[in-house]
Parts: sequence; structure tokens; C-alpha cells
Amino acid sequence: MPAVYHDRSARRHLCRDHFIAAVESRVAETIRSRQMIVPDDHVGIGLSGGKDSTALLMLLSRVLPSIGRVRLTALTVDEGIHGYREDTIRSADRLARDYGIDHISVSFSELFGKTLDAFLVGREHEACTICGVLRRKALAVAAKQAGVTKLATGHNLDDEAQSVLMNVLRGDLPRLVRDPGSASQGWFIPRVKPLMYVAEKELAVYLMLHGAWPDLPECPYAVHALRGEVRTLLATLEQRHPGTMQHLLASKAQIEKRCGRVSGAGPVRQCTKCGDPCSGEICQLCLLKKRLGM
Amino acid sequence: MKIILPDKTCRTQTITKMTVGELLQDLGINPVEVLVSLNGMLVVEDARVEDGDEVRIYRITHGG
Ligand SMILES: [Zn+2]
Repeated sequence: MPAVYHDRSARRHLCRDHFIAAVESRVAETIRSRQMIVPDDHVGIGLSGGKDSTALLMLLSRVLPSIGRVRLTALTVDEGIHGYREDTIRSADRLARDYGIDHISVSFSELFGKTLDAFLVGREHEACTICGVLRRKALAVAAKQAGVTKLATGHNLDDEAQSVLMNVLRGDLPRLVRDPGSASQGWFIPRVKPLMYVAEKELAVYLMLHGAWPDLPECPYAVHALRGEVRTLLATLEQRHPGTMQHLLASKAQIEKRCGRVSGAGPVRQCTKCGDPCSGEICQLCLLKKRLGM
Repeated sequence: MKIILPDKTCRTQTITKMTVGELLQDLGINPVEVLVSLNGMLVVEDARVEDGDEVRIYRITHGG
């Protein structure tokens, strides 16, 4: 069997069958060792219809039966990004139907009164920050509606490594060690990332091998983001020094260990405006709403 | 050899033998950021390409 993937940090070539088995067992192991999902959980999958969430849905459907009885519900957020989101949402609808799982969709316009495009006029450079805060709330609303016990997102190894480096570059050490799934970050429902040890390229290969490669455009706001530059930089380093991304995650884990796994800076408080859990007096969403004049 | 680039434009190039990795290097493309198929089959960087082959390069876009 010809090789379909060269794992450069493990120095091995994998054929189709061994590659698929390797990815699936790594995801199963990630879920098990960290007890991300346990029997009788009801897991909400953040399903945008893009490649990572498509891979997440496929992999969880494959892997979860070995963990126990787990119910899945797809949660889709329509941010309102013209010329980009329409196709991915169609893809999400089709996937949920094909896999026979419940599907709940929410949109920025129904929750916040405007599309992301409308919010971002003249603020394109802040796209990812603004979208991130609104998306977080939208997903939390959808997760609550669905009554899920866990919320799974499709963040992969590359995303995680980029986030570590970005937090360092921004001088944001508290954010580096803060548990992003904790209540102080506005989550009532524990958030899990089952793909955090799977490289973006591995997910792409997995999709391609299953004939599920989504030929979709990139988010039009991506060009404004620091993440784009960090992504190119890390891809270059990974090519020259295989294992770089894994090492970044390992560094983060070591820092976390030294600091203790900090669940936010200080105790969980309630936003004095909306009552959502947060680390300060007013939550990120209410701060943003004020700034955007909502 | 026919090359289909990530933006779906095509170019034809005459070559003696080379590997997919060498081809990507010539094109200034980082292998971490793309998938490559050779005559419709996914291949790794040390796969050899010859004249008459069709090489297609897919960019792995960020997101979702
Ligand atoms: Zn609030």
C-alpha cells in the first residue's frame, strides 16, 4: 500500500488504513486520558461545516461507540459572513442529516440584531476578537438550548500551538494558563477539544481519504488577523523542525503545571449586567456590547 | 507534467524525474500547508513525478 502521510516528527510513513487507524486511536486516547467525554454524556459539536468541525463530527461518530453510549447534537452558528458562511452552513446541514444527528442553528442576527459583516464595518482589523466573543455566547446559547453536557470544538494541534505562541507574543501569560473551558470564561458547560493532538494536515488527509474534502473558501476576515502570520511562521518552523507545534503544547502544559491549573484569575464571579459567569465585574460580551453601542 | 495549483490554475512543465517535495520547493510552497495528489491519488513528498503525470496541489485553508 502506498504511503498517504509522512509523519515527520515520528519519522514514519503511513498507508491509508494505518493512517486512519492512527488518527482515530489518538483521538480516542485524548478523550479517554483526559476524560473529555464519558458514558451518557450528551455532546454538542460546534459544527460550522468547515474542515475541522467536519472532521470532528466524523471522528467522534467513529470513536465514541468505543467509549460508551454518548448522544451527539450538532450546533451551528451563522455569524453572517457574506460569500463565506452560506456554503459552510449548507455543508453543516447536509452532514447532520447524513449522520442522523439533531441539529440546532443560531445566528448573530437573531441573537445580537446584526450580522458580523454589519458589526465589522470600519473595524475589520478587530474581526477575530469581536467574532470570538459573540461566537462564544452564540455557542453557549445553542448548547443550552440543546441541553448538552459537554461542548466539543474542532480545534486542532496547529490551532492550539498558534494560540500558545500568540498569547506569548501578546504578553498575555494569564490567558496562556487559564483554562479556556472554565466557568470564569463564560462557559456553563465544560468545553472539550478532542482533536487537540491531531495536526491540521492530518485532518485534511483524513477528510480527503474519506472523500469529504470540503472545497471551501477561507474566511474573508482571516487576512486581518495576527493568527494568519503566526500560522505561516509556525508552518515554516514545523517544516524545518518537525515537532515544533507539539513542543509548544508541551511548554504550555509545563507552565500550567508550575502555576497549578488556574481556572481563571481568581474566583468565578457573575457579570453584574447579564449574570453570565466571568472573571471580572462585567463579562467580555457586555463590555463588547457597550463598545459597539448595542 | 500537468500541475493544478491551489487556485485551480493549470500549468504544464517538462521535467526529468523529480520528487513531489522538490516540485513544491521549486514552487515555493510549504508542504505543511498543502495536500498533493498524483494522478488522483494522495501522495507524500518523496513520491516521484514524471512527465505525463498530473499533479494537483490543494491548499489547507484555516478554519472551521
Ligand atoms: Zn455580561
